[in-house]
Amino acid sequence: MAISSVPKTNAPPPGTAGISVRDLSVHYGNFEALKDVNLSIEAGLVTALVGPSGCGKSSFLHSLNRLTDLVPGCKVKGSVRFGNGGESCGPGVDVLALRRRVGMVFQKPNPFPQSIRRNFEIPLREHGVRRKEISEVIEKCLRDVGLWDEVSDRLDRSAMALSGGQQQRLCIARALALDPDVILFDEPCSALDPMASAVVEEHIAALRGRITVAIVTHNLAQARRISDRVAVFWIRNGSGTIIEHGPTKEVFSNPVDPSSRCYLEGGCG
Amino acid sequence: MTSLISSRFTTRRSRVQDWLFGGIGAIASLVTLGALGWILADLVKMGLPHLSVEFFTADMKSAGREGGIGPMIVSTFLILVCFLFPAIPLGVGCAFWLSEYVQGGSRIARAVTGGVDLLASVPSIVFGLFGMSFFCQVLGLGFSILSGGLTLTCMVLPILVRTTLSAMTSLPPDLRPAAGALGLTRATTLWQILLPAALPGIMIGITLGVGRALAETAALLFTSGYSTRWPESIHDSGRAISVHIYDLAMNIPNGGGKASASALVLLLMILAINLVASLLADRCLKSQYIS
Amino acid sequence: MCRLRVDWLVRHVLGLLAVVAGGLVLVIVWYLFQGAKPALESGLPRRFFGDPEWQPGSVRDPQYGLVPMLAGSFLVTVFATALATPLGIAGAVFYQFYVPARVSRWNLRCMELLAGMPAVVLGFWGLMVVVPAISRLEPPGQSLLAAALVLALMILPIIALTSQAALSAVPLSHLQAAAGLGIGRAGMIWNIALPAAKGGIGSGVLLALARAIGETLVVVMLCGNIAQIPGSVFDPIRPVTSTIALEMGYATASHKALLYAGGLILVLVIGLLVGGLSFRRKPNHNTVH
Repeated sequence: MAISSVPKTNAPPPGTAGISVRDLSVHYGNFEALKDVNLSIEAGLVTALVGPSGCGKSSFLHSLNRLTDLVPGCKVKGSVRFGNGGESCGPGVDVLALRRRVGMVFQKPNPFPQSIRRNFEIPLREHGVRRKEISEVIEKCLRDVGLWDEVSDRLDRSAMALSGGQQQRLCIARALALDPDVILFDEPCSALDPMASAVVEEHIAALRGRITVAIVTHNLAQARRISDRVAVFWIRNGSGTIIEHGPTKEVFSNPVDPSSRCYLEGGCG
Repeated sequence: MTSLISSRFTTRRSRVQDWLFGGIGAIASLVTLGALGWILADLVKMGLPHLSVEFFTADMKSAGREGGIGPMIVSTFLILVCFLFPAIPLGVGCAFWLSEYVQGGSRIARAVTGGVDLLASVPSIVFGLFGMSFFCQVLGLGFSILSGGLTLTCMVLPILVRTTLSAMTSLPPDLRPAAGALGLTRATTLWQILLPAALPGIMIGITLGVGRALAETAALLFTSGYSTRWPESIHDSGRAISVHIYDLAMNIPNGGGKASASALVLLLMILAINLVASLLADRCLKSQYIS
Repeated sequence: MCRLRVDWLVRHVLGLLAVVAGGLVLVIVWYLFQGAKPALESGLPRRFFGDPEWQPGSVRDPQYGLVPMLAGSFLVTVFATALATPLGIAGAVFYQFYVPARVSRWNLRCMELLAGMPAVVLGFWGLMVVVPAISRLEPPGQSLLAAALVLALMILPIIALTSQAALSAVPLSHLQAAAGLGIGRAGMIWNIALPAAKGGIGSGVLLALARAIGETLVVVMLCGNIAQIPGSVFDPIRPVTSTIALEMGYATASHKALLYAGGLILVLVIGLLVGGLSFRRKPNHNTVH
């Protein structure tokens, strides 16, 4: 957590991990939500995942940190590797350790209905952080999302009393507290008003260089603003897949696939 | 012109019907509330003169015609303790397992919920019959406070399971993925996040269960026994307040006064329990909407 | 991983508790069945319906006629439900459609109080008030009528509460549609609200019926406890539940087995009623939503 900001085009710093996904498919019962997805998410950069609703972006994200395990009847096939680590898809993986390395922030802010402090204490204690160190971590992470000055005097009050934007930043801070290599954002701004959304977006952009970020968004302007690379999802033959990916500038200025050209120019999707 | 006349006719008819429906409803309600008021008034009228501090603490005299209900209050309290001790882990644990560890539609989940629902339909006298021969005779616990409490556990278990289950299913659905994404185990998620959030709802279930247990007589008649001595341990026989009322009413001539005083006490206890439950329910609603 | 071991342990302990809770009813039914077995095996079943009387304790000439008790249970249950159903439904309609919600809430509280009233208190009150009143009309007072009246009072809140819940669940848009067609309040209740709430009200009545069959205390205190088929509502009766309550303290051998058989019958009848109810409720849900 040493580097605080890195220019947009810099090479990936050491200590973060990219993700390489090969031939990933996701099934819910008989329904194939995602088919043969190949993507490498570069370390330390922000990768935006865009595309129309229902084309498997969220399923893709949830299969990276194995949250799909919690969905009854969901099967994931293929290969997912973080950095130089081993295979994280399939049986025999320490899922809890994986989820510690790969944080996630959801569409709707979901703090635990307890005090702000408990929101950090529960996961930190679970992962063996000593009690003495916890308040230090809380302060650092809350400062990272610009929340410290707003809540430092009411850490023991309910997290549910915060505004939507504050709750979402708390969730980001909570994910940061576990010192992950990767954070997955699942439409983190779509439940927020524009002002709060801008603040959250700013803090996500500030993670560049420190942490690998994958963000699902429906807001193309947002994808353009904050991402280094972009992947466009589309439905082909009834299941979702990636039809185009590359550096944000290139994909937006000169899309190759006709569907993605149409989508990115705002015509369809 | 014809249409105007017929419309006036229908209006009048519908007004008569309206009065008729309202009148029947009002009479029905009056009968019901009147009966309730009558019962309460009678109990207060007959029971209040016998109420005093001594009534709560003193020993029973002359087979119940004189004296107080001190031993019965203690026995009732001990029976409740013996009932809650196994009932809470069993009921709450069952509901936790149903809501967190199995899918709602799976065969085993349906079997367990079906079993609990059937248990809820078993009449209390059958629990009494079962308790008498299983806890008292087979397990050798005899007519004791412990046997009575365990019998009540069987009887009230479905209430606990159902209320806990509904408290768990009404939790915000995004708590579980939130916990999962932080790498928490299911056990930690359950104890540290879901349990605190569902606690008010679970407490409502427990208070309702206590209310039901206090009111019960048939299941206790032949399990906790009739003894009117001060209980020294949970292996002693002890007479619950409800059993005391039954005994006074059925077997003791001129026991009516003390019986109504005891009934008044029992009723007040149940009212207090219901008040606690509704306060908890209010708090439950508030915490859902405000925070 | 220690954490995973804890997780495993918690899962299995909770699973064990759930299986115990879910299996308890099987244990009870199996136990009743074991207890009732001697009565079912020794050629007694023929005498259940053949013997005219219930004298299982008699040494010289035991009589095992169950018919008077089954009739008693049936009569007191049906009588009480028939009394409580119109009162409960009419009251629910009144408080749902004729009375402001603020007042209605107080009625709800009262119904909850009545529902939570211990059976022994109701039975005691019946003994002090209802029985003397009936005995003035026609002695002895402890009778089918006394038990049915108080039992009706006891199950009334079940019907009233479920009926009002069912009526309040009728979509407002249905009622608005009726009002928009110029249909009056009574017509709206009769033609729209009651038919739409039929299922819920029916479940409430069946639930009340199930409760009444199994009720013991009110019945044992008020019905007079003479095993006979009553000639009129003023005659004493002795339903199955009060037979068990009165005799299980001293019954032995085949007499005891008969009490288990009575308990088994109760559980089966009520189980069928309630089971049928939950069976019926499911297709309903699909059509409503």
